Amino acid sequence: MQSEQIKAQPIHNLAGKGRTAVAQARLILLVMVNVAQLWILAATVEAALAHRFSALLPLVVASGGCFVVTLTLILWWRPASRRFTSSGYLKR
Amino acid sequence: MSSNLGKTIDKVLADTRSDESDVRSATAPHQHDFPYDREEEAQVTRREFCNFLGLTSAALFVGAAGFAGKAAFDARRTPQLPPSKIAGAETLAPGSSLNFSYPTAKDSAILIRTLDGELHAFGQKCTHLSCPVYFERAHQRLECPCHDGAFDAKTGNVLYGPPPRPLDPIKLEVRADGEVWAVGREAGSSEVLL
Repeated sequence: MQSEQIKAQPIHNLAGKGRTAVAQARLILLVMVNVAQLWILAATVEAALAHRFSALLPLVVASGGCFVVTLTLILWWRPASRRFTSSGYLKR
Repeated sequence: MSSNLGKTIDKVLADTRSDESDVRSATAPHQHDFPYDREEEAQVTRREFCNFLGLTSAALFVGAAGFAGKAAFDARRTPQLPPSKIAGAETLAPGSSLNFSYPTAKDSAILIRTLDGELHAFGQKCTHLSCPVYFERAHQRLECPCHDGAFDAKTGNVLYGPPPRPLDPIKLEVRADGEVWAVGREAGSSEVLL
């Protein structure tokens, strides 16, 4: 069992590095979407105070779109892990 | 030898948590009364951060939708405001102004008698950041001292500066004996919500 762990270690590290890269990219995307949403909220407040009503609906729709993107990033775009691959990844 | 190596590998694999517990040990007396896992506090996992970003996104969306909804609701609403007499308006000299409150004591407003004798009244809040505007006699216009915005004294339209829309006009009515009454207030805007 221990010898199996030692042999699996390099493969595990490679897979781990890949997963980390994907997870970091996912986090960066989430932060970028949040920043965009913050800008949209500021634009919405400005439009509401200026009584530019025609701009309100597109801004709210854009904010909703960003929220949907965030949800998909959190729920679906997960780094693949614990899968048997052709490179022989072993489940720990 | 191999068992030692195995133990070391097991320890390294198992040791994924920080050793903040040594550094962040409870020292103050109140921390013994209200204990919590200090090591847990020192860590924010990637998943927790993702969830936090998701909640932030939801909050920003709700905020934008709420603000837009309230603005649209307020624009559709046309409250019936009670008429109010503006004391001292009948003796106001041409080219001068008078401050009053309408519709409530908190809503300051400004009445202007232009050089040609016409009366105009507006809400005193600048449409940029709500600073009180004042009547500039030399130029016969309303000016905002905060960010150098200016409004036309007759129409309330923006002449220059950062204000995005005209001042809120107040409807006036001249009754018997020259008494001036404020009878309504509108939102100064060139855009109408359908």
